[in-house]
Amino acid sequence: MGVMDQVELPKPVRYVFNWGRKFSLWCFNFGLACCAIEFIAASTSRHDFIRLGVIPFAHGPRQADLLVVSGTLTDKMAPAVKRLYEEMPEPKYVISFGSCANCGGPYWDSYSVTKGVDQVIPVDVYVPGCPPRPEALLDGIITLQHMIQHESLPDRIAGRRQDAVTLGADAPLTLEGR
Amino acid sequence: MAGVLARRDRALNPEETEALLREHLGEQVLGSVVEFGTFTCKLAPEGWVEAARLARDEPQLAYDLFDSLFGVDAREEGFDVVAVLYSTSTGNRLVLRTRVPGGRDAPRLASITEIYRGADWMERETYDMFGVVFDGHPGLEPRILTVENFEGWPLRKDFHLASRAAKPWPGVKEPAELDEDGNVIERVPEIGDAPGPYELDKAMAAQAKAVIEQERVEREERERKAAERAAKAAERQARKEAKARAAAEAAAAKAAAAEADADQQPASSDEEDGA
Repeated sequence: MGVMDQVELPKPVRYVFNWGRKFSLWCFNFGLACCAIEFIAASTSRHDFIRLGVIPFAHGPRQADLLVVSGTLTDKMAPAVKRLYEEMPEPKYVISFGSCANCGGPYWDSYSVTKGVDQVIPVDVYVPGCPPRPEALLDGIITLQHMIQHESLPDRIAGRRQDAVTLGADAPLTLEGR
Repeated sequence: MAGVLARRDRALNPEETEALLREHLGEQVLGSVVEFGTFTCKLAPEGWVEAARLARDEPQLAYDLFDSLFGVDAREEGFDVVAVLYSTSTGNRLVLRTRVPGGRDAPRLASITEIYRGADWMERETYDMFGVVFDGHPGLEPRILTVENFEGWPLRKDFHLASRAAKPWPGVKEPAELDEDGNVIERVPEIGDAPGPYELDKAMAAQAKAVIEQERVEREERERKAAERAAKAAERQARKEAKARAAAEAAAAKAAAAEADADQQPASSDEEDGA
């Protein structure tokens, strides 16, 4: 990010930047289970989150601002999510969509399911439900946009550096094995 | 029939299939059963590979499609391995089943990847979930379904779920927990019985328990008061009844006395008349 994450911008400039950011969220859908279907429903014409400035189906994580983890994250998949998240450019935002991504959901006692995506990557907005309706995702996006409008980028980056996520913070997670 | 190619209208029925397998494998066929429309052939582990080869290569059987392979936990007796085969020419489905030698400690079975390439990942999955080692398999490691450093065999019945140790399953376990007499154990969990691993969970559990305790105390107080009231009312009622009874008895005695008087009076008047 260079100078932007070091220096607090003047308020009017910050307002304009944040305004621009919140209405052009290129979204990467990490669809893992049935919640992904609700995500797709939210992107189609009836619910249509493009009217909120969310542009679905970024070409890849390197072109995405928003990561929506929708579905059951397993321990086997966790390194992939971590890597994907790390490939995204700053500023990046994460929505955890559905009970499984929030906390493990109905698989709370499973041997293979990660108990919440926030064990792997930092999450900005949690959308509860099993699965949540598309309206819930719209609500989550509006909440996120509200957050973006009022945030300060240097503070966000500093917080990111301070509260490293537990899993993979001390030893790097790889796809080849931990 | 010998030498005839498999065809849909000439598909062997289960009895004929078993007879054919017995003809080649002899004692290694332990038995067969038709359940839910599926023909299952039970085999000795020594005949496992040979049976698969026969099922694929025998022209009358021609089980050319490998459908699936999986393990079954047979409790103390170890593990079963089940392979499902399908014949695209006859439309028959054949299930081969064997008890893996080695018990629970070191289950080992010969691999059928030589015969069906599709068995490769199925056997890896069975290894992942049950720890059954397949001899002759091109490579069971790294683990395919779980994380590479996963410890234990999750589909074994004696596998312990870490989350369940911290928080027991709320309610009766499936299919049901039975006592010695075979009755279903009804287990109703109470709120705050099994807090989760986090401080917040414990605090919430403690709070819930306190609320329940308070409610219990209040309920007992209410019940005690109600009982007292009821006892008092009963006492009052009893007193009233006793009074009423006494009054009735007095009235009856009075009436009897009056009657006696009345009896005497006419007699005396008769006497008077007579006099």
